[in-house]
Amino acid sequence: MKVSKRVATLATMGVVGLGVAAASSSANTVHGTAAASSLKGQTINVAIAYPAPKAMLAKFTAQTGIKVNWDYVQWDNLQTKIASAAEAHSYFADVADVDWSKVGEYYATKWFLPLQSYFPIASVKSAYPQATSFIRDNELVGMPMDGSLLVTTVNEKDFKAAGIKSNPTTLTQYESDLKAVQAKGIVKSPLDIPFAAAEGLSTYWYEMTAAFGGQVLSSTYAPEFTSPSSPGYKAMAWMVAAYKSGLVPKANLEDQDYQALEADQAHNLTASVFSDYSGDVGTIYNVASESKVVGDVDYIPTPGASGVGYNLGNPDGIGIPTEAKHVPAAVAFIKWMEEPANQGAFAGADGPKDVIQTFPLPSNRGGLADLVKSGKVPGAATLESLLENHARAIFPAGAPPWYSQFSNAVYTNIHAAAAGSETVAAAIKSIASTVKGLDN
Amino acid sequence: MSALRRRAERAKTGRSQAIRRGRGETALPYAMVAPLLVFIGALALYPTVLTAYGAFVHNDALDPPNHFTGFGNFQSVFSNSQVRQSFENTGLYVVFGVLLSVGLGIFFGLLLQRRFRGRGIVLALMVLPWALPGVVEGVIWSWIYDPTFGVLNSTLKSAHVISTYQLWVGTHQIESIFFISLVQVWQITPLAAILVLASLQAIPSELYEAANVDGATTWQQIKRITLPLIRPGLAIAVVEGLVMSLNIFDQVYVLNAGATTASSLMSETYQIAFGNLNFGQGYALSLLATVTTIALSLLAVKLIYRRVEF
Repeated sequence: MKVSKRVATLATMGVVGLGVAAASSSANTVHGTAAASSLKGQTINVAIAYPAPKAMLAKFTAQTGIKVNWDYVQWDNLQTKIASAAEAHSYFADVADVDWSKVGEYYATKWFLPLQSYFPIASVKSAYPQATSFIRDNELVGMPMDGSLLVTTVNEKDFKAAGIKSNPTTLTQYESDLKAVQAKGIVKSPLDIPFAAAEGLSTYWYEMTAAFGGQVLSSTYAPEFTSPSSPGYKAMAWMVAAYKSGLVPKANLEDQDYQALEADQAHNLTASVFSDYSGDVGTIYNVASESKVVGDVDYIPTPGASGVGYNLGNPDGIGIPTEAKHVPAAVAFIKWMEEPANQGAFAGADGPKDVIQTFPLPSNRGGLADLVKSGKVPGAATLESLLENHARAIFPAGAPPWYSQFSNAVYTNIHAAAAGSETVAAAIKSIASTVKGLDN
Repeated sequence: MSALRRRAERAKTGRSQAIRRGRGETALPYAMVAPLLVFIGALALYPTVLTAYGAFVHNDALDPPNHFTGFGNFQSVFSNSQVRQSFENTGLYVVFGVLLSVGLGIFFGLLLQRRFRGRGIVLALMVLPWALPGVVEGVIWSWIYDPTFGVLNSTLKSAHVISTYQLWVGTHQIESIFFISLVQVWQITPLAAILVLASLQAIPSELYEAANVDGATTWQQIKRITLPLIRPGLAIAVVEGLVMSLNIFDQVYVLNAGATTASSLMSETYQIAFGNLNFGQGYALSLLATVTTIALSLLAVKLIYRRVEF
């Protein structure tokens, strides 16, 4: 059943499927008798920032004989664990999270094993829309585990109630629509921006900058946001002005991204998230027990300065820490995770039983095709279209090794500008000064 | 054997038995605390020694290799404006934390000294916040402080104290630190109260009876009898408040995220070590926090602690 499903999927994928077929054929060797027998009975520890798909893991164990201890660790804590274990040169997991933002760091520190000998880079590039986020100087630091990207969501019901007949395609129109929703009293503060000093604020600014037609750092990591006419400067000024004018709820100064989405957008305190996460419609807004806007929120093409803007990719990946004890079993596990049928299932193609909660989108085109074909996940076709046609990496040269310091400077300064303790100009200057102080 | 000689032999045997017994008695306490010493040595002293050493080593995961750098890490952290801000903030956390936890500890200690119905239940309930992890407390209080639906805003608005819902954390330095401190004070006050209560219960009632006979007022009794005689418990409560406030992290992490407005020394240490991956500077800040904690604790003990005998 499983094989026939994979064959059927590949048959529908045409040329794109060739890359996936290469990856899948490698995966098949893991299930082959020689490899499988040597790995049978091994137990691997997996540290991932997603809850475990228990039924799927049981299938993996049945197929390979490899047992999996899936440790679901909150994202921030997981990064601390990875750094602590690496600094102490101690084992903590055979497979762990490799976030897009950590790729530069892990490439520099060599805390993860290069994966290109197990997953040929050419195949990965052709099968995975966001592969470049995980490749540095022809080294594959991690495999994309999901296809997360930043997208715009709107509460269509609120927009219609305000007399808005079509989705905004430009930033000017978007702002005007938000003001219309506000003026009609449908929602007091319609725009959701999480202004707490945390990573979610940084990525919001990157996405906003992309919508204004630019990027925050050049391919040589030089700041591109210092001029008042630059997209980065305009984006920050726009966000801060939106907060100060009341377009964004006052309380959002304390809200991190997940709080803003779950407390505001899911409870109709806001009507739109400019930089939302792909998958949130299915995993938050349409979950009746947690939402008051079931069926009302949709993904729309992100409005840009002069037409549809970009959607920046922020995918999570998985890799093998240098201190891993069961490398072949870990490779087998990653190959299984990457199988298109499984990727589709994690995102809901086979119904809720195999879903990984909060999983945004399949990492590879095969999984995406499965998901769209299943018709079980709202907005999947829109997301696939955005991923294929409008997605772009946050940094053209990939995340720098010092990304964490950069992001810290970004969110502390934007937060301070929104709180009124510094001006946008001072915030921009401070972030640029941080970049200058970092070793390029 | 003459009686004299027998007496001498007995005396000699008795002496050696006493010496053996004395040695045994001397060794027993050491043997009993040895497991704890090993435990503390492995989990506290050894890491402290490593931290002290690491503070003088350039250890930046993004800029290898490691090498001895003298006071280089200390110079770097002091030249960092965010670290300087966190020192100032931590000073405020200490002021709020110690004053409020000790003040409230004395207040609740005095209240609980009186016998009343349900006192045992009140005592048990009081210990609950102490038993909760800091992160859990941070989350609970983030709901209480929530600017949209938090109970603090709704209560104050219902009581007409405020006209609109307020942001309690995130805008102003002192206000943010005060409200984050309250969360920790809620956690550590029960222990302070119990320490004070234990000291209060050790004071002989005859002293108060004599004071009553002499016509002393309640305030005079508190000032002349109670406060001087609870100084040992008070010293421990102050040290507890100091240690907890100087090392405040969980509550700041949950309520303030990464904002510099109310960052603490520990949150800054976390960012430098695990965000920037500069473990050398992280060790340096940790060592500074440890030394400051020890110095201030010793000072507090010297100023407050007095041996009390009844």
